[in-house]
Amino acid sequence: MVALGPLAVSFAVFVAGFAVVLASWWLGGRPRSPAQTAPERVPFGGGADPRVHAWNRYHVRYYSMALIFLAFDMEMVFMYPWAVVFVREGLIAMVEMGMFITILLLGVLYAWRERALEWA
Amino acid sequence: MGLTALLARVATGAPVPVFAVAGPGTRSLIRDLRLRPEIRLVDTPRPASVLLVGGLVPAEMEMAVARVHDAMAHPRATVLWSAGAAGLGRPEGFDDAIPVDGDPVAACVAAYRDILVGRRGSEPPILPDVDPAPWRGVGPYGQGGSGMTGGVPYGRPMAELGPDPDGLRLDVLPVAVGPLFPRFPAGLVVDARLAGDLVLEVEVANLLANATAAAPSPEADPFLRALGERVAIADLELARARAHLRSVAEALLAAGLEALALRALRIAANLRAGDGALVRRLATIISATQVLRWSLRGVGAVPPEAVAGLGAGPVARASGLREDLRLEDPAYRDLGFAPLVDAGGDAAARLRLRLGEAVQSLDLAARAGARAATATGRVETPRGRLEAESSASERLFTVLPSLLREHEWGDVVATIVSLDLDLEEGPLARGRARPEAAA
Repeated sequence: MVALGPLAVSFAVFVAGFAVVLASWWLGGRPRSPAQTAPERVPFGGGADPRVHAWNRYHVRYYSMALIFLAFDMEMVFMYPWAVVFVREGLIAMVEMGMFITILLLGVLYAWRERALEWA
Repeated sequence: MGLTALLARVATGAPVPVFAVAGPGTRSLIRDLRLRPEIRLVDTPRPASVLLVGGLVPAEMEMAVARVHDAMAHPRATVLWSAGAAGLGRPEGFDDAIPVDGDPVAACVAAYRDILVGRRGSEPPILPDVDPAPWRGVGPYGQGGSGMTGGVPYGRPMAELGPDPDGLRLDVLPVAVGPLFPRFPAGLVVDARLAGDLVLEVEVANLLANATAAAPSPEADPFLRALGERVAIADLELARARAHLRSVAEALLAAGLEALALRALRIAANLRAGDGALVRRLATIISATQVLRWSLRGVGAVPPEAVAGLGAGPVARASGLREDLRLEDPAYRDLGFAPLVDAGGDAAARLRLRLGEAVQSLDLAARAGARAATATGRVETPRGRLEAESSASERLFTVLPSLLREHEWGDVVATIVSLDLDLEEGPLARGRARPEAAA
């Protein structure tokens, strides 16, 4: 099997998966819709009936944490290739990295002002 | 035998997933069913196969029971349990339900086996199959509306805009939870207006307020008897320790610590006056459980002035108030009783205090001998001062919204659990005072 190459192995996995689906179909009968009537589809609220739809727009409070993550993540993404060429490029690379870090620092300062660094 | 039938037969050996509804008078009986290995009490109706309804469900809650019934997946069955004298109610539409007087667990197991092997058909829905508003095919995509927030998608309107504590204008979602939410006492409906998970405004309703109820058995609740007669202190204090341990078990369940909760319930079920060491060991484990400490510290703060004079029992004592009817009883004074007080005022303090009081009660029960409490028409129950016309939980109800407002939903649930509200105490006391009303 392995000698036939990765494609044959994938095909075998696909066929086996399909066989399992067919077998469970045959064993359990046709899959039924999990909810059949309107009261069955209602989310559980302890017996209370929801008055409004659950879609709603709310304040994503972790946005400031996401901001800090992005700032440091981007820094790293740029710094690795930068470190490789730093010796060859010299001062220009230094200045470019300085500009880049300054821009990211603004994001961190903003997150600081939004109290993202105050734990609990 | 076909393969399907064989698998169904194997499945009948599994613990029965049961969603339990505790009608007035059956609260602790239903909670103790968690100790039975044959069944598994589940928190939502979706995974349940059997709906167990204990006692007489008041008319105000019948609709909720019907909704829970219809939310169960097929195949399903309902068991109506009379729980002794609590009474057998047959809510409207439950014509196929199985009535039982004795052991509800055996009835649940039998019903589960019957619906799995096909000896008994799955119960049809009770409520009509209609959406709250017509929406299919309405709007450009048939989703029931137009634009982002217009119309009635899936039959319900969208949440409306409202101010948010951060100065934004975002959706305020009205959500009612209860009266059969497993973490809340049966009958409690919390109607919250949510901004994300923050509760902006909250109203509470007690659907058991006008219920008439009879205790499952007169011996079941010594506190109810103590309203009108002299009851042995040993009985009262043993019942108090038991109630506190059950309340601790509820708090542990709400924190997701099921094994510890079962341990507390097991101690409560077999409690004797000499079990102080067992309870103390449980208290040590609980106080060393860091998850619980983190999740309860500072949660559900109750300022003493909010509950002063309400006779709120452990809730008041955990907020530093020295309120206890037992202080006025010469029989208790004779035993050298002094109430435990904790100044913490939060959910962690209430948990600590209940465990401490359980140990204290066991000690009192062991030393009480034949002493009986003085009957004054009022009694200090595990929830606080119970009178013939009102219970501590009913009086706490008036300050409940102020304790829940502007907290996150998870903390709201933890707060309600830590208050250990018992909405059936009032109806039971009134039913005792006016037996003809309960009949």
